[in-house]
Amino acid sequence: METLTPQNLAAAGRPQVFHVRGLTKVYGMGAAEVHALAGVDLDLYAGELAVLLGPSGSGKTTLLNNLGGLDLPTAGELRYRDFDLTLASETELTRYRRDAVGFVFQFYNLIPSLTARENVALITEIARDPMPPEEALHMVNLGARLDHFPAQLSGGEQQRVAIARAIAKRPEVLLCDEPTGALDVRTGIVVLEAIERVNRELGTLTVVITHNAVMAGMADRVIHFSDGRVQHEHRNPTRAPASSLNW
Amino acid sequence: MLSNLDRKLLRDLNRMKGQVVAVALVMACGLAMLVMARSLIFSLESTRQEYYEAHRFAEVFAHLKRAPNALAARVAELPGVATAQAGIAVQVTLDLAGLDEPASGQVRSLPDFGPPELNRLFLRTGSWLAPGSRGELLVSEAFAEANQLHPGDQLAMLLNGRRKEFRIAGLVLSPEIIFEARPGASLPDNRTYGTFWMPYKEIATAFDLYGAFNYLTLTLAPGAQLRSVIAAVDRLLEPYGGRGAYGRADHPSHIRVSDEIRILQTLSIGFPIVFLSVAAFMTNAVLSRLLTLQREQIAILKAFGFANRQIVLHYLKFAFVMVVGGAVVGTLGGVALGHRLVVMYHLFFRFPDLYFRFDRSAVVLALGVGVGAALLGVLSAVRRAARLPPAEAMRPEPPASFRPALVERTGIGHLFSHSFRIAVRNLERRPAQALFTVAGLALATGILIVPNCFRDSVSELLGFQWDVVQRQDMNLGLVEPAGVQVRDLLRQLPGVIAVEPFRGAAARIRFGHRSRQIGIQGTPADTQHSRVVDAWYREIVLPSEGLVVSAKLAEVLAAKVGDELTVQFLEGRRPVRTVPLVGVSEDLTGIAAHMELRALNHLLGDGDVMNGASFTLDMARRREFLHALKQIPRVSWVGIKESLRDNFRQTTAASINLIQSIYLTFAIVVAFGVVYNNARISLAERARELATLRVIGFSEREVGAVLITELTILALIALPLGLLLGTGFANGIVSAVNTETVRLPVIFTLHNYAFATMVVVLASTISALLVLRRLKQLNLVSALKAPE
Ligand SMILES: Nc1ncnc2c1ncn2[C@@H]1O[C@H](COP(=O)(O)OP(=O)(O)O)[C@@H](O)[C@H]1O
Ligand SMILES: [Mg+2]
Repeated sequence: METLTPQNLAAAGRPQVFHVRGLTKVYGMGAAEVHALAGVDLDLYAGELAVLLGPSGSGKTTLLNNLGGLDLPTAGELRYRDFDLTLASETELTRYRRDAVGFVFQFYNLIPSLTARENVALITEIARDPMPPEEALHMVNLGARLDHFPAQLSGGEQQRVAIARAIAKRPEVLLCDEPTGALDVRTGIVVLEAIERVNRELGTLTVVITHNAVMAGMADRVIHFSDGRVQHEHRNPTRAPASSLNW
Repeated sequence: MLSNLDRKLLRDLNRMKGQVVAVALVMACGLAMLVMARSLIFSLESTRQEYYEAHRFAEVFAHLKRAPNALAARVAELPGVATAQAGIAVQVTLDLAGLDEPASGQVRSLPDFGPPELNRLFLRTGSWLAPGSRGELLVSEAFAEANQLHPGDQLAMLLNGRRKEFRIAGLVLSPEIIFEARPGASLPDNRTYGTFWMPYKEIATAFDLYGAFNYLTLTLAPGAQLRSVIAAVDRLLEPYGGRGAYGRADHPSHIRVSDEIRILQTLSIGFPIVFLSVAAFMTNAVLSRLLTLQREQIAILKAFGFANRQIVLHYLKFAFVMVVGGAVVGTLGGVALGHRLVVMYHLFFRFPDLYFRFDRSAVVLALGVGVGAALLGVLSAVRRAARLPPAEAMRPEPPASFRPALVERTGIGHLFSHSFRIAVRNLERRPAQALFTVAGLALATGILIVPNCFRDSVSELLGFQWDVVQRQDMNLGLVEPAGVQVRDLLRQLPGVIAVEPFRGAAARIRFGHRSRQIGIQGTPADTQHSRVVDAWYREIVLPSEGLVVSAKLAEVLAAKVGDELTVQFLEGRRPVRTVPLVGVSEDLTGIAAHMELRALNHLLGDGDVMNGASFTLDMARRREFLHALKQIPRVSWVGIKESLRDNFRQTTAASINLIQSIYLTFAIVVAFGVVYNNARISLAERARELATLRVIGFSEREVGAVLITELTILALIALPLGLLLGTGFANGIVSAVNTETVRLPVIFTLHNYAFATMVVVLASTISALLVLRRLKQLNLVSALKAPE
């Protein structure tokens, strides 16, 4: 098995998207201090599907929030291409999130008063080069559910709307935080298939966070995370199709 | 096309329509009042201005005893005088067939040929006097209407003691009597007092004034100084019995219209402030709740790159929909109310054409004030939304930390039911929320106090006037001062139980550089009729020398007990005296100065004389008495308390009731709006918690009890606070309606407080029932789903 080092990837001609060095994030002060991130070193490359695997409370969400410009680190380097996120202003961060990042959260977080199509359109309205909302929903196999409200959709369907919402603006990066965490196996797999397809067809750098080791199989690269840092990482020689996973 | 964010806005609005409507309605109440009051001010001011200009209302007025017409030409030449018009104004007694009591009035002269220069009349019906006509007159419309007189009817009056019949040519209005009442009376009685116009020749001959005048009006040249013109006129008229010239600011009719405008101004500020602050409060509550519920949605919008500005705008739009709704309904309501109220002004004010004029600027103001109120209410909430860090909001809210409530920690906790415990702990856990609810309920309670305080204050004023001060049944004025033996004559009249003489003397009272023209009332020291009382309604016995003035006059003159006032009498030998101020009396209408009768006569250099009398009557023999009175030629006027009271009930009281009921309706709308809003918010915020209780086995009753207990506790705290708050509001607003003509005492009755409490309790109960019904529909499954 060939280990996939950053050097290898760079050699494979994939441009580096994120550059993370010594990233720390401290919550609280004094006795209540929590080192959610304790010196993360990580590089992420265009087009790859990375699974970030780690136990609950290890700092995965914190890292994702920092990558996505939702939160700022306490110390360390964090660059998206040439853009130094640690020095960004609020307006620049907003711009960055609007243009470059798509999020998928554990609890879908759709706007309940808008239909599936409108939830996606809400975002495409402000995006630079979006695809039509219908196309995004077709990609996640929800072409038949365009005009349903979130309350009329199952959990898996809601999560696929969330994915459509995230990818409709053709982001450079898709960040998924425990996307199947609230779902059963079968619907979870449908959601993962949607993520896999987006990554394959659109070439979006995709980071999927999970504490479920089974999901490591679908990744190009698996990053093992605990105690606020990357412990080790490995590359799968071949990606297992999401449909073959089981837990 | 509608953006999707706006689509979300519309759906949120639709889902919260009950509350949106409640807020918009409260706002509408405040704005309606604003639009109504401002438009009425505009209507009155502009109509009066146009009337004055078109009919050439004079700017200076002067009564005198008698001066040759040639003097008028000299007045016209005074610097600063534009036009001067001399004429005759005399008091007359009428003999009306349909009226028991003697009526009186004033006759004014018109030029024998052509219209007058100043104070031109407006002919409502009938015709002008024919040139050179005799035996014809014009009658003021108010008097004609009250007595059902029409052009062509006959009218008898005593001219200088001689009875004469006149034919009514036409009914007219004059800019001098937009408000018409007997001089010195604070309420109009159009049945027994009127104004009449006849040719100079006719009236002058009857009063032996031919070739002379006793009433002068004039207008000022541009840039002229009112004070110096008055001083010059006074100097010129002094030898001819001048009573002191005065400007429009002292003109009785002008003052009354100005007072009404001033009251409207107070109302146009006071009421809207109270209502709109409640609306601001409610907007805040609704938006805070919306933002709490949409925490995650805001975070998502931010995560996907919506800028703070866009999010803030989104929620501001939500508030603005309520403002615009409130402004539209408020404006329409204000215009509708204004149309109704303007009709009411016809009872008091006679204009050729007073109709409702919509003050467009009021809408702009209303919208501005509404937006301001909403911004005030919303800003803190929206700013919170903007500050919300997106990563933070994605984390589920930490479970609230509870602990036994204070009352439980006292050791009697075991006495409480589960429902009570949950309710109390919940209130203690979120004190800010509880505080807001209490404040809202308190405002709703407070707002109810104001209109009833208004009503109670007016009735206190009348009680004071008619029960505390005026104990007599009737007053009567004589044409000329007469010896006190007239009193014995009057005592002989049928039905008389007691008679008291009095004397009124026109004078200018001066202290320092301030002065006022007033009729000094002389009454016997032991008077049982027109009593003089202090601020605690205790009788003041008039000392044998010195003046007692009403608190308002003392304030106007800036004088206090012990000061020496200069009294310049404007009749008789016109002596000027220095008189000590010996007491201050309470008087709620007008300004007044009292003196012991003999002391007043002494100051004037007269013997024992009187120019009026007051009576206690055997009311059963009233007709007999009045009939006998009609035979006495020296009687100039009569005021019967009962008639004044009845008349007041039919006119002023009716209009006060109308206004009061409008305000009360608004207050009730607000009270319901606030309470309903609060109940809905607390249900929405707690839906999950209450559903959980149901799921784990609480009965619907028990869950309902939790909500009701909370609401009850909050209401119990809010009610007394609200009563206190309302007392403050009412104090502010009612005491702001304080003019020289009327000063409302601020009165709070148990009934007022009880009513406010009852309305709020009722509103709370109905709201609670509505919310309980919603509790039944609570979807247990969806309420327990993961957060949206
Ligand atoms: N806003 C915060 N304030 C305080 N502590 C936090 C905050 N966010 C995360 N943490 C703490 O940081 C650690 C990492 O959390 P998180 O990144 O959510 O872990 P994971 O996603 O791997 O479960 C946890 O101990 C958590 O309690
Ligand atoms: Mg996590």
